[in-house]
Parts: sequence; structure tokens; C-alpha cells
Amino acid sequence: MTISIEAKQAGLSATDWSFRAEGVTKIYGGTLRANDAITLSVRPGEVYGLLGPNGAGKTTLVKQVIGLLKPTAGQIRLGPFDLVADPDTARQLCSYLPQAPMPIDSFRVREAIELTGRIRGGGRSDVRRRATELIGALDIGEWEKTMGQRLSGGVRRLVGFAMVTVWPGRVVILDEPTNDVDPLRRRLLWDQIRLLAQRGCAVFLVTHNVMEAERSVDRLAIISGGRLIAEGTPSSLKADDRGHLRLQVMLRPEAATPPLPSWVRQPVRVGHNLITTIDEADAARSISWATDLIGASVAEEYALGATTLEDVYIRLTGHTSADDHEAA
Amino acid sequence: MTELAGLLPPVSLRRGLSYWLGSYRALTRWHLAGLRMWLMLLTVVQVMTGAGFVLGFALFFDHIPASAALFVSTGVPVINLVVVGLVLGPQLVAQQKLQQSYDFVRALPVPQSAAAVAWYTVCLLAGLPAVAASLLIAEARYGIAFTVSPAIVPAVLLTAFTGTMLGYGLGHAVPNPMVTTLVTELMIFAVFGFAPVVYPPWQLPSWLATLNWWFPFGHMAVIVRAGLTSGMVTGIASSYVTVTAWGIIGVAVSAWALVRRG
Repeated sequence: MTISIEAKQAGLSATDWSFRAEGVTKIYGGTLRANDAITLSVRPGEVYGLLGPNGAGKTTLVKQVIGLLKPTAGQIRLGPFDLVADPDTARQLCSYLPQAPMPIDSFRVREAIELTGRIRGGGRSDVRRRATELIGALDIGEWEKTMGQRLSGGVRRLVGFAMVTVWPGRVVILDEPTNDVDPLRRRLLWDQIRLLAQRGCAVFLVTHNVMEAERSVDRLAIISGGRLIAEGTPSSLKADDRGHLRLQVMLRPEAATPPLPSWVRQPVRVGHNLITTIDEADAARSISWATDLIGASVAEEYALGATTLEDVYIRLTGHTSADDHEAA
Repeated sequence: MTELAGLLPPVSLRRGLSYWLGSYRALTRWHLAGLRMWLMLLTVVQVMTGAGFVLGFALFFDHIPASAALFVSTGVPVINLVVVGLVLGPQLVAQQKLQQSYDFVRALPVPQSAAAVAWYTVCLLAGLPAVAASLLIAEARYGIAFTVSPAIVPAVLLTAFTGTMLGYGLGHAVPNPMVTTLVTELMIFAVFGFAPVVYPPWQLPSWLATLNWWFPFGHMAVIVRAGLTSGMVTGIASSYVTVTAWGIIGVAVSAWALVRRG
């Protein structure tokens, strides 16, 4: 970066603050290609999902964004800044909520949130007001003075989110932010994530939860084997599945996977569930087949519905998000 | 919704002294809060360790020689000063790595030097009460009249600094938390038992005395002893050089470990 800090700051408010990763490649030990030429961009105001099975390279990519790892090749830029060349700038402009529990055993909830805000550069009174806003918005006021070690996993997760976003950077990276959070507060959390984007942050959502991502992200990328294998809006990614339906057959616990008819595609068994895709035209004979399975005591019930992003994910990665979540 | 001007994502970068000082203050508070549940216990253990050394040493003798009493009384403060930074510090970092919260801490937007100095401040604060207690106990038990000179200030600051930086470098540079724990335990064993801290170097076999000459712990005892006594030690300048050199090594290893990106 040859421009001086002052010169950059003078024109930064009018800057395009898009995040851009171009050809990001990370090779460990000369052979293990954890990221392979990943190119993507995220605009301010966007919630961008990063989906992929375990070991796909999502965390490696995130660690390169926040300056903990250095790409073997490629560029990572945020607005006018080269985040690879200047990891200190990366840390200032990116906020990161890791999947692991936050180290707040000895902190009271409000204290942890406010201290992180101060570390992130917020003024005392602004941070205090913002912490109050977040504590209220996430409905965690009853634990405001509780020590971290006494919190449940879900509340601890919400506190972590508040710590990371009390004084957010330009890019906010959230790795499985809703883990262990109860459904009611999960909705509050999604409201706050959307609000962050509305305030101009580019939000990266790293998740295994495809269903949640489908409802919450503006665009998403699916990463598998270190490569970006699909990118777009949830609707555009499902475009290839138009005219198809999802047939899910709940098998009896002791039942082996039955022989599949020829029209059934992309079968995946997850526990007792057999998940497949069929053409709309095959709906009637599929129902008949599933009903026969129930009659033969092989299955307990079935469900037929529109394809979801989960089906796209299964088709592209060969995994279900449930697989990945259980393994995580 | 409260409108907060600062909540809009940042358009400027923080740089310079105010960034450094703000980070230092906030991180010092962060460390103190993080150790809140342990700080009192840690201080008590430190005081008891100091008292144990000072009082326990006398049990080896029918009548403890004055010189031995003086050596142990002026050596124990070194143990009090280095044990938090050299042993507890790397073990805390190892724990963060095991619990996978290390990445969050590493991703905090602070100058690495401010983070290191904040941790040094906490280690110093955690060691000083025990130093005072050890000296008071020694004075009461052995009737020693310490000749405290201004030289005690740089000696204490440098000893704590070098101990802290060596531990800081160890914690961040060693990727495997288990190895960190083993090395710190080895250091306790080495410093307490085989470094001329609470006894004079001529009590050691000559090869071990020579080996210790290259390490900082005996030299830490020399410079602290020089600040507490009059005419008891010689070679103070070379001891300062050795302790400073190890402090610089600790800083260099820490900087390397924190700047490197795999």
C-alpha cells in the first residue's frame, strides 16, 4: 500500500467498502490445498453465507481474512486496504466471532461486552449505550451482572455475539452464531445480524445450518474440498432444481435402505431418513412407492415437498448439513 | 433505537500513541478481569511460597548461618517476580489454545506491543505483594536489616520483565499446549532447584555453575540482591547485561510468534 494513512482516511467515507477475495489459495506443507483459488466479493449491507462440510476450508479462509494466516497466493482487500499485507488493519476492520466458546469465565456479561468495545476502539459512553442496546435487543438483561462461568451455552453465545458487534468492524465474521441459542432469542439474533448489515457492515456467516442460511443470507457460497463450487442467491442456486421435488422417507430404525426405483435421484441416508430428489412428473408413483414401503414395514412415514437449499447442498457436496453439524 | 454515530462501521484506522495507550489500558483491565477469580488465590499462594522458602530453609540447619539466611531472603523475591510471567502466563495461553479461544484473542485489534506490556503490568502487580511479604517475613525471622537502595527499582522491573517476556514468548511460540505445560514445569524445577537463586553459585558443581552463568535466573538474583544489600554481590553490570539480553530474546521470540502467520 503506497498511499499514506492520512490520504486514505481523507477519502474513506466515500470509498467503496466492498470485501474482495481474489484467487485466495492456501497450501499447507507444500501439498495440502486447504483453499484453492477462491474468489468472492461481499458488499456493505450484505449478509453472505459461507457453507461447506467440515474440512472444506471455511475456517482457513476466515483466518486469512482476519490476518491469522497468510495466503500462499491471492489477494484479500477491503475497500482500499490490502488485508494480506497489513494484518493489523485486518484486525481493526474485521470483527470475528469464532465457533469456540468465548474466554469469559471470569467476566460479568456487561463488563465483557463493554471491555471488548473499548478494545475495539469505542468511546466509553458510546460503548456503554451500545452494550445496553444489545443486551436489551438480545434479551439477556437478566444475566447482565452474571459471571461468564455461570452462563448456559446459548447465553454465552449471545454474549459472544454482543462482544464482537458492540463496536463492529467493516466486516463482521460470525462462525455458527446461533449454536445452542433458544429459538426465541435466535430470532432476536437474526434481527441484529440484519441490522448490522443495514448499518453498512458486510456480514460473513459461516454455518452448517443450511435451512437457517436459506432464510437469512442475501447471497452465499458453497465451499467443498477447498474450492468455491457454487455462489449466488439462495433462489439462483435452487434454479437447477426447478421442476423437482424432495422426497424424504423416514425408515424404520432397523430397516436397511430399500432398493431404489430408477426415477429417484441423489439419494442420501441420514440416520433413519432417506432423502431423495424426484421430477414433479414422478410425484404420483413416488407416493405409491413410499406408501408401499410403509405397508411393508420398511418405513414409518414420508414427506414430499419443494426442494430446498439443503438439496442443492447435498447435490453439490455429497453431505447433508446434519452430517456436518454432528461431526463439528 | 438509540442512534450512535460511532456504530457506523469505521472509516478510519487507529494509529499512534493514543491507539497504543487506549489498547494498553483496555487490555490491562481485560487481563485483571480475566484473572479476577484467581488473583487473590494467586497472591496468597505466592506469599505462602515465599514464606515457605524463607522459613523452610532454616530447617536444614541447627542454626542457619547468617549468609545462608541472607541468600535465601534476597533470592525468594526473584521467584515471586518471575513465577507468574514465566509459568502461569504460558499455561494460560496454552489453555486458550486448548479451549480454542486463542483465535478470538489474537484477532483483537490491538498493537502486539501494548498487549505484551499490559500482560507485563499484570504479572508485576501480581508479584509485588509477595515480594514485600517475603522480605517482611525474612526480616522478622532472621532479623535481617535490608539495605534497600534505588537500584532495587530497575532490578525488580527488569527481573519481572525478562521472566514475563520469556514466558510470553514460550506460550505464543510453542504450538502444542501440552509441550508448553511440560516446559513450564521443567522451568519451575530448574529455577527452584538448580539455579543459584536462593543459594550462592559456588554451592553448585562447577559445570552447573558455568551453565547457569549463561542463563538469566542466577543473574536476576544478583541484581535484586544488589538492591537489597550493601557490598554482598559483585559483577552487577554483567548480570544486568545477561538479564537484559534474555529479556530481549523473550521480546524477539514473542514478536516472531505473534507476527508470523502460518
